[in-house]
Amino acid sequence: MANAQTIARKPGRGLLVFKWTLLGPLFGLLLFILPAFLLQLYFSFHSWTIYLGSWWDAEFAGLGVFRDVLTDSRFWWAALRSLIFASLSTLGCFVAGFALAMAMHRPFRGHSLFYAVFILPMLTVPVVIAYTFEMLLFQRGPINGILSTILMTNVNVTWLAQPPIAVFTVIMLEIWNWTPFVFIIMLAGLSSLPPELDEAAQVLGASRWRIFSEVQLPLLRPVIMLALILRFLEAMGEFPKTWALLQGGPGSATETVPVYLFLTTWQYFHISRGAAMSYLVLIFMILIVLLGIRLLRREKQTIDAIHAKPGAGE
Amino acid sequence: MKRFVKKWRYPLFRTLMLTAWALLAGFPIFWITSTSFKPDNEWHKWPPVYVSKNATLDNYRMVWPIHQTGSIFVTPDQKGHGVAHESVTANKPWHALKNSLLIALSSTAIAVAFGTLLAYGVSRYRILSDTRMFQLLVLRMIPPIVVAAPLTLYYSVLQLMDTASGLIVVYFITSLPYAVWMTKSFIDEVPREMEQAAEILGASRWQTIWEIIFPLIRSGVVATFLFILILTWSEYLLSFILSKVDVVTLPVQLSKYEGSTEGRVYGHQAALAVGITFPLIIIGIFIRKHLVRGFTFGMVKR
Repeated sequence: MANAQTIARKPGRGLLVFKWTLLGPLFGLLLFILPAFLLQLYFSFHSWTIYLGSWWDAEFAGLGVFRDVLTDSRFWWAALRSLIFASLSTLGCFVAGFALAMAMHRPFRGHSLFYAVFILPMLTVPVVIAYTFEMLLFQRGPINGILSTILMTNVNVTWLAQPPIAVFTVIMLEIWNWTPFVFIIMLAGLSSLPPELDEAAQVLGASRWRIFSEVQLPLLRPVIMLALILRFLEAMGEFPKTWALLQGGPGSATETVPVYLFLTTWQYFHISRGAAMSYLVLIFMILIVLLGIRLLRREKQTIDAIHAKPGAGE
Repeated sequence: MKRFVKKWRYPLFRTLMLTAWALLAGFPIFWITSTSFKPDNEWHKWPPVYVSKNATLDNYRMVWPIHQTGSIFVTPDQKGHGVAHESVTANKPWHALKNSLLIALSSTAIAVAFGTLLAYGVSRYRILSDTRMFQLLVLRMIPPIVVAAPLTLYYSVLQLMDTASGLIVVYFITSLPYAVWMTKSFIDEVPREMEQAAEILGASRWQTIWEIIFPLIRSGVVATFLFILILTWSEYLLSFILSKVDVVTLPVQLSKYEGSTEGRVYGHQAALAVGITFPLIIIGIFIRKHLVRGFTFGMVKR
């Protein structure tokens, strides 16, 4: 298969030069970025904050810095918050996005207008989202205003000042922002399903629910997995909105791992601790990214197989 | 009657649901647009003003001044000497716009150029195995905050802090995976027979890329470019950390309105936010058919 697809030219030095010219920039980049991680390694094993002298004189601490991080309960709370934030927002995006995609599956009048409006949140700059919602959620702002009008009472929720509500707000913000992402993926997935299957199931007298759960859902599995994995990984690293809106507050209610990392390095200037923490998070993230990628690879093969089938797709 | 209800129940329900969501999705965008035209006494009014009757362009004039306005003020330092400061917000948006344009456009262009070549090599010569291609995604999926600290230290040593080239390199790295994967999905769709024909006619490898492949995937490359431009333009964390004064980009500039001496200047913030986000919305709607491909690294096509 691979041989048939590659172009058969005479192998030789020309080919080698050609291949390395294409690959060169990538290797250049990786080489460029490598020292950053070596520097970080140095800091993780040496105890240094900017209040001490020159960094090259820092005291060797062995695994001490790592031990500090791992015994820091604030770090573990941040990790737990990140996981909760990522899981709930991924779930929310998925439910909303999938429902929208199901509703938009068949063409109707105004389809493209709805589509254009639905993708707006995804195209908005994250920092702009944060500040816009700050205006919207302001105690005397439009969201309380609209709720007051609808409920005919004076609604006065402080969306950003009370811990449980603030967490809810941040999750809703992420869902608002990224539902379009799931929506466009699921819509593409739905439209690549062969319509004959749907018709055949209908002819055989299957109910709409059975067609959905036993025909469409299994075929959509790879696309669903893809959307969930990508969304979850992105949500784990979400920083700009949470930071610009709340800086981890109120108290430390929205202090996720990225926020805590930022505070450690750029507010408390514990460079070593920040470096060690970055390493731990980096290793953890690489592990779940690799796990995610392993799942993605399996699903991509299935997607390609569906696309390759004659008659399937567009 | 019963049949009528049955026939119209679903479309009605669907339209209601879609309209509700459209209102939810559109309202914040509507709100900043509307706020950007409000005079300052309506910013915090209760009940909220939805559409201002006294709409004004003052906020835009303030944030995007056409003429240089006085922005220098002087404060005494510890020894009593006067020190000139520039106001935190005045006149900065134009500077930030210039930085954003320079950084976003050049890093995106570089990433797409090298990404396309790499993608061609992968598609036709398998210079990277499937495994390596997936490992490339790690570059993108690791949250930037994790590498921000080492990058800051490294950049201070290299004296790349607060320089445009420093940010361009970083964005080149983070957008390369998107560029490679997305353009590869376009190149994979070009039938190989065309290159084989060109080869028989004696075209060199570079000629094949430039004269056969590139014209065929041009619209795809443009879509990739615009897609990555959206991501780079909106990036906040890395430019916030790696810049101080000189290369402040637009998203960072927007965050400076918070907690500055002027207080909560909603109107100005909104006018700046509109300027940052509307170009992206236009670009995004323009390439809406390719967004799926972009966000899923070319794995899902329409």
